[in-house]
Amino acid sequence: MSAPVLEAIAVTKDYRLGKQPIPVLRGIDLAVQPGEKLALLGTSGAGKSTLLHVLGLLDAPTTGEIRYDGERVDQRSVAERARLRHRQIGFVFQFYHLIPELTALQNVMLSGMMATSVLQYWGVRKAAKAAAIAMLEKVGLGHRLHHRPAELSGGERQRVAIARALVAEPRVILADEPTGNLDSQTANGVVELMFSIQRERGLAFVLVTHDENLARRCDRIVRLRDGAVVT
Amino acid sequence: MEEIVHALLGLQVGLTTAIALLLVVGLLLFKLLQAGSVLIAGPKYAQFLAIRYLLTRPINLVGMLGITVGVWALVVVVSLFSGVLSVLEGHLHAATGDCVATGVPPWAPWPKLDAALRDDANVAATAPRLLHYGLLVRPGHRPPPLPLPGRGALHGGDQPFLFVLGVDPAAEAEVTGFRQWLHDPAIPPELRAPDASNPLAPRDGLPTVLVGLQRMQREGLRVGDRVVWTTARLVPDSQGNATPEKLQVELVVGGAFKSAHGGFDGNNVFLALDTMRGQLAADDAQSVQEIVVRLHDAGDAALLATAERLQRALHRATERMDRGYGTVMTWREKNANFLASVEHQRGLLKIVLIVIMVIAAFLMLATLSMMVTEKTGDIGILTAMGGTPRGVTSVFLACGIVITLVGTGVGLATGCLTAVYLEEVRQAVRWATGVDLFPLDVYNLDRVPYSIEPLWLLQVTLAALAVGFLVSFLPARRASRQDPLVSLRGI
Repeated sequence: MSAPVLEAIAVTKDYRLGKQPIPVLRGIDLAVQPGEKLALLGTSGAGKSTLLHVLGLLDAPTTGEIRYDGERVDQRSVAERARLRHRQIGFVFQFYHLIPELTALQNVMLSGMMATSVLQYWGVRKAAKAAAIAMLEKVGLGHRLHHRPAELSGGERQRVAIARALVAEPRVILADEPTGNLDSQTANGVVELMFSIQRERGLAFVLVTHDENLARRCDRIVRLRDGAVVT
Repeated sequence: MEEIVHALLGLQVGLTTAIALLLVVGLLLFKLLQAGSVLIAGPKYAQFLAIRYLLTRPINLVGMLGITVGVWALVVVVSLFSGVLSVLEGHLHAATGDCVATGVPPWAPWPKLDAALRDDANVAATAPRLLHYGLLVRPGHRPPPLPLPGRGALHGGDQPFLFVLGVDPAAEAEVTGFRQWLHDPAIPPELRAPDASNPLAPRDGLPTVLVGLQRMQREGLRVGDRVVWTTARLVPDSQGNATPEKLQVELVVGGAFKSAHGGFDGNNVFLALDTMRGQLAADDAQSVQEIVVRLHDAGDAALLATAERLQRALHRATERMDRGYGTVMTWREKNANFLASVEHQRGLLKIVLIVIMVIAAFLMLATLSMMVTEKTGDIGILTAMGGTPRGVTSVFLACGIVITLVGTGVGLATGCLTAVYLEEVRQAVRWATGVDLFPLDVYNLDRVPYSIEPLWLLQVTLAALAVGFLVSFLPARRASRQDPLVSLRGI
């Protein structure tokens, strides 16, 4: 068995309600291997999304550690964590979170602009555009490049979000209820697409869901209840 | 020793102030450049998103328009006032000469004073003047009525009370614009002095008076008309006290003059120096009251230095009982109050217009703040994609910077263009509405003047950029402090 690409070690997370700490995660230990599809399953309020945000360095654990490739990263600076998010992690959200002013192509290209300055981007702009077009074609949206999110269906929007998450070639995909806002037929198509790209690229895939059927399609299921791993 | 200490202290204070000012200006420029560099050296997504946000949200044009109007108004109004001030300075300079000696005592003879002043190497020419006052009325007519309320020293031709200048035409022409005033193209041939080489020569045995063109036209005066100059002179009585005595002198109108300054034309008439002397100071055949002086070098530094030397020369020439009399002033000092009043108006307008720009900046602050509130979701996804708080700040800062740069640039360009074509704008407005925004006759002008001062443009640009960047920074900073998780969960 290879070394995990992503680890959570004894992670706790408390939120505060006034002076009262509210525990949301209670000592989570988790390791995700390269190429593994892991489902985080649990009811609403179990702490799935919070754990995903902590794993994705969007939120800091109260105690415990987050490691990427064996290196602790949760204590790094804001800029270093942002750089790591850009290089290593791709997010897919339930509500797509596309930028409404941009076309599908521009939304995907935006990912390539995150870590480059205006001057640096000038030299790579053609390659970045070509990569974005190729990724949109891969998710079946080659004919919708110049449409804005408002002109796309829910499934198409999620495909754009997937293309945006993948175009920077991350090693880990963190998906938070990616099919939660889609009908079953569209959801099935989106899941097939995500898994096929995951297999093709050997990505680590962490999927938050409360859908048992979807979770069963993953390599491993981790069940959360009241902020703790139950299986 | 004490003087040296004071001088050193003064130098220290001056240096400290200069260094502090340099530091403040330097820091401001550095911050402006740093903020402006976001568009070039900042993260690409900040510039990319800022431009898309601006293009797809017309509400941001309101802030841009506010900055544009503020800068436009500052450029146009100040250029207009600077133009007026520049023209007025030219008029006043031409009427006063480079320097003027006033309050010359009656016992000092003109040849002695003239020699004392001409002794200075920088003096090119001098001209003596006598100054008096009075009413000029055509026989059988009443004096003109009082001027309309609100019409003051700038307006010519409707003041019943006149200053009478006794001059030597040849000498006056060497120092002031006297010769040009008689040849102004606006003077109709029938109102011109028939003998321009000696315009104050007596006619029909009567002394000649030169009257401002506007007054001649208003009162229907013609060359050769008789007028009576009514005034008073002081006559010493048996106890040696001076008592006023009514004086009426019949004059003949010799022609019109027109300087570039309506107030000068409307409030002054010219008589021959000898005529004035004969009527007012027959006993002092060589006395003068004022001497106007033209210099070879009338640059600012030479002007002040020469005025100081002439002051000393005048005091030596008028010395009595160890005391000298008379005051020498530069043309600027002589007209300081008038120029200061126009400058004061310009300063007040600057303040009003800067307030307008601050209001425009608040408008921009409001639109940007609204955008930050609406873009909470975008802030979350940008953070998830690898954006830093600083990068998120850059997005909204870049929006503000683009608004400020475009607003300032358009304001400067349209402001300069409007200033250059202000006369055409005035005519167009008058043609369309009948309203004359800038009555030229008030200032005796042919067209609306303007003077675009590069230093003022620089000041306006820096002020607009500083205000714009400052108000951009506040909402941008708020954006960077948004919790990305709140925004990601919020939709």
